Amino acid sequence: MMDYRLTDQEIALAGKCLERALAKGAQKARVTLNKSCMDLIGTLNGEVDKVTHCLDRSISIALFVDGKYGSFSINKLEDNALEDFIDKALDTARLLAEDPCRDLPAPGRTAKDAGKGTELGLFDAASLDMDAGKRLDIALGASIFKTTEATSAWVLVSEEAEYSDSVFDTLVMDTQGLCCRHTESSFEYGVEMTVKDTEGNKFSGYWWNSTPRLAELGAERICAVALERAVAQIGPQTLPSGKYRCVIDSECASRLVTPLLSALGGYALQQNNSFLLDTLGKKVFNEGMTIMDACRRPGESGSRLFDSEGVATRERAIIENGVVKEYFINTYMAAKMQMDPTVEDAIRPMVMPWPRKGLDRTSILSMCGEGILVTGFNGGNSNSATGDYSFGIEGFAFKDGKITRPVREMLMTGNLVTLWNGLMAAGDDARPCKSKLIPTLAFENVDFSGE
Amino acid sequence: MINDKRYYLDTFRVTEDDLRSLAAEGLRSGGDFCDLFFENTSYRDILLRDGEVSSGGFHIDYGVGIRVLCGEKTGYAYSESTDPASMRAAARAAAAITAGCAVGGDRRTSDHRHFGRPNPAADRYPMQMDWRTADISAHLPLLQKLESLIRSKDTRVVKVIAMLSSQVSDILMFNSFEEMKYDTRPMGSLVASVVFSQEGAVETKSVSRSFRMGAEMLTDALLEELASQAVEGIDERFAARRPKGGKMPVVMGAGASGILLHEAMGHAFEADFNRKGQSIFSDKMGSRICRKGITIVDDGTIRGNRGAVNFDDEGVPGQYTVMVEDGVLTSYLHDRISAKFYGVAPTGNGRRESFRYNPIPRMRATYMESGEGTAADIIASVKKGIFVDQFANGQVKIGEGDFTFYVKSGFLIEDGRLTMPVKDVNIIGNGPQALADIEAVADDLKIDNGTWTCGKEQSVPVSCGIPTVLVNNLTVGGE
Repeated sequence: MMDYRLTDQEIALAGKCLERALAKGAQKARVTLNKSCMDLIGTLNGEVDKVTHCLDRSISIALFVDGKYGSFSINKLEDNALEDFIDKALDTARLLAEDPCRDLPAPGRTAKDAGKGTELGLFDAASLDMDAGKRLDIALGASIFKTTEATSAWVLVSEEAEYSDSVFDTLVMDTQGLCCRHTESSFEYGVEMTVKDTEGNKFSGYWWNSTPRLAELGAERICAVALERAVAQIGPQTLPSGKYRCVIDSECASRLVTPLLSALGGYALQQNNSFLLDTLGKKVFNEGMTIMDACRRPGESGSRLFDSEGVATRERAIIENGVVKEYFINTYMAAKMQMDPTVEDAIRPMVMPWPRKGLDRTSILSMCGEGILVTGFNGGNSNSATGDYSFGIEGFAFKDGKITRPVREMLMTGNLVTLWNGLMAAGDDARPCKSKLIPTLAFENVDFSGE
Repeated sequence: MINDKRYYLDTFRVTEDDLRSLAAEGLRSGGDFCDLFFENTSYRDILLRDGEVSSGGFHIDYGVGIRVLCGEKTGYAYSESTDPASMRAAARAAAAITAGCAVGGDRRTSDHRHFGRPNPAADRYPMQMDWRTADISAHLPLLQKLESLIRSKDTRVVKVIAMLSSQVSDILMFNSFEEMKYDTRPMGSLVASVVFSQEGAVETKSVSRSFRMGAEMLTDALLEELASQAVEGIDERFAARRPKGGKMPVVMGAGASGILLHEAMGHAFEADFNRKGQSIFSDKMGSRICRKGITIVDDGTIRGNRGAVNFDDEGVPGQYTVMVEDGVLTSYLHDRISAKFYGVAPTGNGRRESFRYNPIPRMRATYMESGEGTAADIIASVKKGIFVDQFANGQVKIGEGDFTFYVKSGFLIEDGRLTMPVKDVNIIGNGPQALADIEAVADDLKIDNGTWTCGKEQSVPVSCGIPTVLVNNLTVGGE
């Protein structure tokens, strides 16, 4: 049994780093100690293709010295190397310009309930019992390559899968007494199936699951879902350009939320590089749009009790009934922007169901009647200053609430504020394995480019 | 930069006997091949924000990656310490791949060998001023000068963020063929992100230069070039509109449009995807895939280029690899595994992000050789289409061949002339079809020296280039 969590000796090293920094002239410092271990088995067509063992340790230190600031990291965790590292780091920080806005978070803002690392119940002791045999059983047991028979419409070309289990352990300490720890295990299985149709065209489908608890992995069902997703794409067509009702599958819907959250971040706002500048407290979006930060849920993957500064996270509304309720302002940006600090980012954003609870993809397709169901994005981007976006998409045309045929080589283009103001529905079917809990979404009048 | 062998052995605190012993440990229970990849990387950055260079830092990454191959199967582990016990433990972890795997027998002798010693005279990235010892305080005014230059060129500038980052990696490679390679890889990158404001509207632009060079790359000419590019085309950016979407001819401007080759073709030519039967080009070797006269290469030999390699990360010499010659697919991009599979010599494309990753086939500098037309004639030949020359990112679906790239700015083409500026549109196409649809190639090949980073499983620095080309029938996003 191997336990790759932080040891008392490693934790003591973090304390020594803080002591060294203060002894050499720093007024304040913060140390982040990270340790992780991952074992991975890759399979190709039901055979082991790759075995990987990863063990990482690193120390990062933020130094506040003579009104100046620098951040540094090293992965040589030896006493002599660390002392030399901190001395050189201080020398470097002293060369930079003063910045009065740099500071540690006030002790009253930091997390006090994360001393052990296991408070959220995200560490599964089963991770300590994993061995090569158990990993092989999961990785090979999940494969369906050898039992999948070709049909008249397709043959299976390849099944490329990875099983991994890992443990992440993070400790944040500062010279004002902060000491927070987060320990989490993770079990993950993902697979890409590639099929070939009768004309030789290839189509791939990906599916995965990730969970802190081994018992919830369900690897044995994943290949079949990936295969179903690949086969469903056979025979795609490009639709005419035009405005369509658009349903976004929960698997890919976070793509439409991430740019909103970035635009609410202090760094973008302070640089005038945000299309949500000056929107705090204003109704910007559709009444039905509410995004909560569901960040302190015990047992739920992605929950965190503190951010990278050690600031305590809070469950709260980010956008509520279309009104912007929160910017993400860390200690530095708060001082620069003369605003009250919050947390540095959305930890576990969750789009709330609307117009009622219990909707899933099927019911939303029925509600919308006819349009395009987007099941994946292929590239694209958005303009952080204007919110204009353009994404490549893959998915399906639907009519009378039923999928009719796959579509390809199409683009979805518009403005994020306009898009979200056209929100028709938000489901109740976000996948718990994802870092952002975004359900199936439906929007009115979306521009698609095709033929 | 290439130092003498002793420098690298001392850096990693190993002897040549240690290397042999470790490679033997990896193969103790079977396997065909074992290689060791030692890395000591120093990364530094300084950042200008709101007129002051008030943040910066450095980061040190040290370790050794050990790979054991058993046929085409890979065992991989790494250690962040080079003490003998830690390295042996990593070798044993990598050797787990050999469970149930026969020793290769004559497979061992079929591999190409590269015993030549690293030659400083042939170094593709000599470093005159080592970033690790360069005076960081001398670099602070350079960022302030860059900001001043940018502001002096356009009164609409409201914010500038400028960042100088540098990285120097000492690399030592050894394998069970007893090949030993070593070099020191510099990389300097200068980036400026600028926010402009005009009558309440906001536009942003980011420009960069990146080279495998030392601090000598920081010249006044470089600052001037970057500042000029930062403000170039801003009038058009403010005036730009979304075009009407749909299929249309697309003229790709010389330089950064090389992202088309990277996404639409380059990834599909990477041999791992083909070996697994996943690539849309997996059964096209030797076939004509585009018109005569078109030659597409992946080149690791451009001195100082971001994609240059003295050796790839398997110790194979960097090369100029012709993937498409006169319209015919002639070579995939190989690492040692795929080269063995296809019975060809490795092409020097086995690359990795760091010692934490096993090498896989990756591009270096990917570009199309110049043709015979002119850019002006190509634009003049288009009745209604779009001209694009600035990009943000791209992506490809390997099996289907569908690729996209995001256009930051360009122009409509109407009756052979550039007219309305356009911006923020995605373009989508299919790799083989787009190749077949290349109608014309100009004589103005340009390599783009921005901070291109490819993200296939791991991040590696690359570059791309292309002459002006006309591609018929790409789908342009619009309203």
